[in-house]
Amino acid sequence: MNMGWKAIHRWLGLTLGALALVLGLTGALLAVDPVQQAWQAPGAADDLPVATVVQQAERSIAGIEELRRLPSGVVAVHAFDGGQARAVRIDPTDGAILGPYQPSALPRWVKNLHRQLLLGDAGRWGAAATALAMLVLSLSGLVLLLRRMGGWRHVAGRVRGTLAQRVHVVSGRIVLAVLLLSSATALYMSATTLGLVELDAEPEPEVASVVNGQPDIAGARIALLQQVRLKDLRALNFPDAADPEDTWKLTTRQGETWLDRYSGEVLATQPASTAQRLYDWALLLHAGEGAWWSWAVLLGLTGASIPLFWVSGLLIWWRTRQERPRIAGNSPLAQADMLIFVASESGSTWGFAQALHSALVRAGHRVHSAPLERFGLGPAARQVFVLAATYGEGEAPAHASGALARITALPARDIPVTVLGFGDRQFPAYCAYAEQVDSMLRERGWPVLLPLERIHQQSAQQFALWGEVLAAALGEPLTLDLRPRLPATTALRLVSRQDYAGREGQPAAILRFTWPARSARERLHGRGLARFDAGDLIAIVPPGSPVPRYYSLASGSADGFVEICVRYLPGGLCSTWLLGLQPGDHVPAFIRENPGFALPASRRPVLLIGAGTGVAPLAGFIRRNERRVPMHLWFGARDPARDYYFRPEIERWQEEGRVASVQTAFSRVPDGGGYVQDALRRDAERVRQLVSQGALVRVCGSRPMAHGVAETLDQILAALRLSVAQLKARGRYAEDVF
Amino acid sequence: MNKKHALSALAAACVLALPALAQSRTVTLTTQLKNYGGDGAYLAVYLTDAKGAYAGTLWVAGGKAKYYKHLADWNRLSAGDAKRLAGVTGASVGAGRKLTVTADLADALLDAGYEIRVDAAVEDMRDSPSEIRVPLTNAGAGKPQAGKQYIQTLTYQLQ
Repeated sequence: MNMGWKAIHRWLGLTLGALALVLGLTGALLAVDPVQQAWQAPGAADDLPVATVVQQAERSIAGIEELRRLPSGVVAVHAFDGGQARAVRIDPTDGAILGPYQPSALPRWVKNLHRQLLLGDAGRWGAAATALAMLVLSLSGLVLLLRRMGGWRHVAGRVRGTLAQRVHVVSGRIVLAVLLLSSATALYMSATTLGLVELDAEPEPEVASVVNGQPDIAGARIALLQQVRLKDLRALNFPDAADPEDTWKLTTRQGETWLDRYSGEVLATQPASTAQRLYDWALLLHAGEGAWWSWAVLLGLTGASIPLFWVSGLLIWWRTRQERPRIAGNSPLAQADMLIFVASESGSTWGFAQALHSALVRAGHRVHSAPLERFGLGPAARQVFVLAATYGEGEAPAHASGALARITALPARDIPVTVLGFGDRQFPAYCAYAEQVDSMLRERGWPVLLPLERIHQQSAQQFALWGEVLAAALGEPLTLDLRPRLPATTALRLVSRQDYAGREGQPAAILRFTWPARSARERLHGRGLARFDAGDLIAIVPPGSPVPRYYSLASGSADGFVEICVRYLPGGLCSTWLLGLQPGDHVPAFIRENPGFALPASRRPVLLIGAGTGVAPLAGFIRRNERRVPMHLWFGARDPARDYYFRPEIERWQEEGRVASVQTAFSRVPDGGGYVQDALRRDAERVRQLVSQGALVRVCGSRPMAHGVAETLDQILAALRLSVAQLKARGRYAEDVF
Repeated sequence: MNKKHALSALAAACVLALPALAQSRTVTLTTQLKNYGGDGAYLAVYLTDAKGAYAGTLWVAGGKAKYYKHLADWNRLSAGDAKRLAGVTGASVGAGRKLTVTADLADALLDAGYEIRVDAAVEDMRDSPSEIRVPLTNAGAGKPQAGKQYIQTLTYQLQ
């Protein structure tokens, strides 16, 4: 179903989006009428009896044929006097003529364009089809929105992505309900116009006034008109002077009533049909005519927002199309002896596929690569590889949602299928989809060349290692030359560095960079440095290596700079290079989101636990804590003189109230307090109290440190019958480990 | 918009199959609309007898049954006629345009108190039931008559 909704949304938007644009813009214009009418409507006279209004109107206007109360409250009178037809607005309290009555301030073509695209009846079907498309677009949009935001509970959360994506999602969130309502009501109204729904339950009754020589009764004296209030009136038709058998006809929301022109007696009544009442509601909601002029404004704005959807939607589609993988040197399935099938969420897995593909081609094979949903074997096939990433909580990447069922349906053959999974150990469903594919293949009886291997965070080293094992298994020389598909990089300029002695022989520094401003065009296309928050990652591509290294960000784009904390790793290509930079030097980089780690906007207390350079993203959280959310920092290092990163800043932030408490532990000085776990243990009571208040927990540091912290917290929280695993499952606990 | 298209709508109707059809006349009815500045008009052209009772429908311009109740008099009077629309409907008539209807009528209907009536309605504008009522007489033939709201002139010719 994943693919289904997305495909429906995309193709409907692309094909009927242009028509929806026309309906949206004309709809926005049409909203002018109800707003203007509401403004013209006289004050509260709605409780006046209709009889009184008739009396007042007849004093100032001769030859009245019809008196109408519009949903906006305007009272309009149609009259025919001295061979001249006129239509005026009156004040119902005194019958004073307020001005001429005009049904619409807009030229007629606006409404006709909106309803029938200026094409008559064929156009009505077209407009109805567009309304249906709009309804389906809104529904599929809702499904995709919920999926993207992670359910109803997070629907108001921050939207990430390119500007086009953000515009699309944010405006969708605001106007979706109105669009749903507009399109549903439009469909109903189209159905009545096109004769699919019958509004009148039965024919009008035969009525005639009984001529008995009496003079006409004055409208003001008719009992029913004295009872009915102006607010319930739709229209009142006066009897024709030339026709002695003509009658009064009163239309209210409830239905129609005919009255004798001589006696004022009720001759017949006909209640409004259910279909008619539904129609009245649909019209009220769709056209916004009525007391709620603010609703009409909202409708107008919603109509005007459709171009925004359309343009941003087109841009999103175009960008996805541009990024579609193209494999160089792909052989047809029928001729290939090596088959590679790929399930990739963001496209990065295709980079690995290309590396494997090229290596096999160099080794003399004919290789066919295709998306996983096209899984199938040609007559020449000898080996099959499946490279699979995982989406969300163990689901297939969107494009491959039907792949598993397809493979299951195929009879197993005596050709080995080897699965390689891609994922991130931080997520509980690490490589879950690859595991699912692998176990299904084994169950079905497909042979295997190599057991399932999992690649963490697109590690080039792990991939190269797997390549060596593969070469041995195939008995052929094979070199996987990974050229990751990297997003475009932006050149960051180093503006300052703050050096620390760090561990023995491992100096460190806090590096601060700036980036060139983006043009509006670049922003729209998501080019240039993307928006980022503290806790997101910056990928830096060092010279001489195609593989980026990731660093946790200690700043957000709102701070106006990129700040990271880098420790020298012996033999580390990137850290050596970074620590050798001087202000003014440039670094190619791009942003990678770390959505699980970023802090949501909430007033809950936050426990920040970090060690060594892992304090960097935590410092970034504190720096941006303008709202003074109670944040508590536990920071473990070795020696305050060597690696207490951000010390002056942290002290200043504490004075400013951006961080509520700071506990440090230094493991290499006497009475330093040991490790950060020891500091937590000392504060066990306070930790329990904060967690029971609903606190969020963020941990950043080395893998052993994160493991130790989790163990310690499990012990501390046991008294609350809580565990780190439970907190993780509820989205309250996240780690950023390296 | 509509004026740019064909200048008249030609309609043919053969309705009133009255018993004494041995002697019949062809009536050509020409209705010229005013430039009232609105959408296409719905028109119902029908006959009433000397007592004002409905006698038959000559033509209905406008195809949406949803709007027929705005042709109030015709809709009410003809409610009992199940075949009131049989073969006599066409498109609505644009402002400023002309509708021509032809019908075979029995001689007996002439000078017998029968009236030609037209109900008119335009969206978002006032309904005009009995927009015009013209006695069906030999003397009245060829004499243009004006309607109340939408009809500039209505003329009928007898052959």
